[in-house]
Amino acid sequence: MEILQRLYEMTAFRDILANPGYILMLCIGAFLLYLGIKKQYEPLLLVPIAFGVILANLPGGAMGVVPAENIDLGNGHYKNLFEIAHEYGIMNFVYYSLIKTGFLPPIIFMGVGALTDFGPMLRNLKLAFFGAAAQLGIFIVLISAILLGFTAKEAASLGIIGGADGPTAIYTTIKLAPHLLGPIAIAAYSYMALVPVIIPLVAKFTCTKKELLINMKEMDKLYPPKVKIKNIRAVKIAFPIVLGIIISIFVPSAVPLLGMLLFGNLIKEIGVNVARLSEAATGSILNTATIFLGLSVGATMTAEVFLNFKTIMIVVGGFLAFAVSIFGGIIAVKITNLFSKKKINPLVGATGLSAVPMASRVANEIALKHDPTNHILQYCMSSNISGVIGSAVAAGVLISFLS
Amino acid sequence: MNELNLALELLGVGMITVFVILALVVVIGNLIIRFVNRFIPEEVQEVVKKVEKAVGPDRKKMAAIVSAVNIVTNGKGKVTNIEKI
Repeated sequence: MEILQRLYEMTAFRDILANPGYILMLCIGAFLLYLGIKKQYEPLLLVPIAFGVILANLPGGAMGVVPAENIDLGNGHYKNLFEIAHEYGIMNFVYYSLIKTGFLPPIIFMGVGALTDFGPMLRNLKLAFFGAAAQLGIFIVLISAILLGFTAKEAASLGIIGGADGPTAIYTTIKLAPHLLGPIAIAAYSYMALVPVIIPLVAKFTCTKKELLINMKEMDKLYPPKVKIKNIRAVKIAFPIVLGIIISIFVPSAVPLLGMLLFGNLIKEIGVNVARLSEAATGSILNTATIFLGLSVGATMTAEVFLNFKTIMIVVGGFLAFAVSIFGGIIAVKITNLFSKKKINPLVGATGLSAVPMASRVANEIALKHDPTNHILQYCMSSNISGVIGSAVAAGVLISFLS
Repeated sequence: MNELNLALELLGVGMITVFVILALVVVIGNLIIRFVNRFIPEEVQEVVKKVEKAVGPDRKKMAAIVSAVNIVTNGKGKVTNIEKI
């Protein structure tokens, strides 16, 4: 009988029965896996996050991330990584060494930079402004969240979901409200996956059919660009270098994200001479970083941390931030069209989010539905790419003001 | 109330900063384009024209050859003549 008792204590049954929240979290993890695998919602990140949730909620597995207070020794001192690994397990070692230090999001940004082509933006530079207007949702939700009782740091972390940029949302949350990292990462990536639903929904209520029929190529023929690029390769190489230096002077706190993004882009544009670096940044490094980021972010979602009212507010607030950001971009285009002869399709503003290139693809599909000859992808990519810069700058402002 | 004031302040400062930075992106981009157009314009376009004139009507194939040579040689190689063997 004693042996049976010991066997029972060895298993996780007792803990699971004592805290049904574990079962609920395992169901949430399974649902997220379903979304990632079956529905293909951002599977590259949602699958590791979902599995991290499951790992963290297996009692006795010691894979859940413990709160920062557990490793804080006071007076600005913390337990070392060996102690963290020894006391709390390998997931905490990964989290506190790679995530809490803010290491992985910039590394992922380097890979994103190496996958990004600034060409469409450089060919349509004026459209880059709409990447700024589409950051409106970040600040509107920041204000709303404060009115609902969030602290300024928590509200900023919630608002940054509106930038539609996973690494930026994670980086900002690590710096400002690390206890909300799990739900914010889930909300950010879920809504990025839902861009094909959210953009058409907002466009439906804010754009007229006449506006959606604005043909950008026809406009280009009527009002051609004043300057044509004679050597795009040289421009693409010089651009990240000059931009990186200028931005670092204006918003130094955005440098970890934007600096790495621009470095990644530079090694892509240099080409064959540094092809190995570019391949590493977009291949092995990006993939490894994604695995560790996803698993450890998922592991922050233990039942005690995740199952509360704030999580629901984050899910609702994240959607609002997304929708307001898209709305901000569309309104900016409408205002521009009032004063400009060269009309712009409002869908170009809707893609000021930094969900690249999904937002552009979705906007292009909407335009093609209304007019099969109206290909606006390259124009949307301009505001879309500038949205990446815009959201990183917004994050830099929030971090420098609030941290 | 203090936090709300801070949030309003962040709305103003944040949006202005983002607009200023993206305005800089536009300005810097334009300056780089003008500089490059003036001092280091691409030579490939001229090569394509020369090859097109010299060889004949199949422009798509020639453009593909020139582009391939350009990519493989990282812009250093030039197509001066194409002969069918």
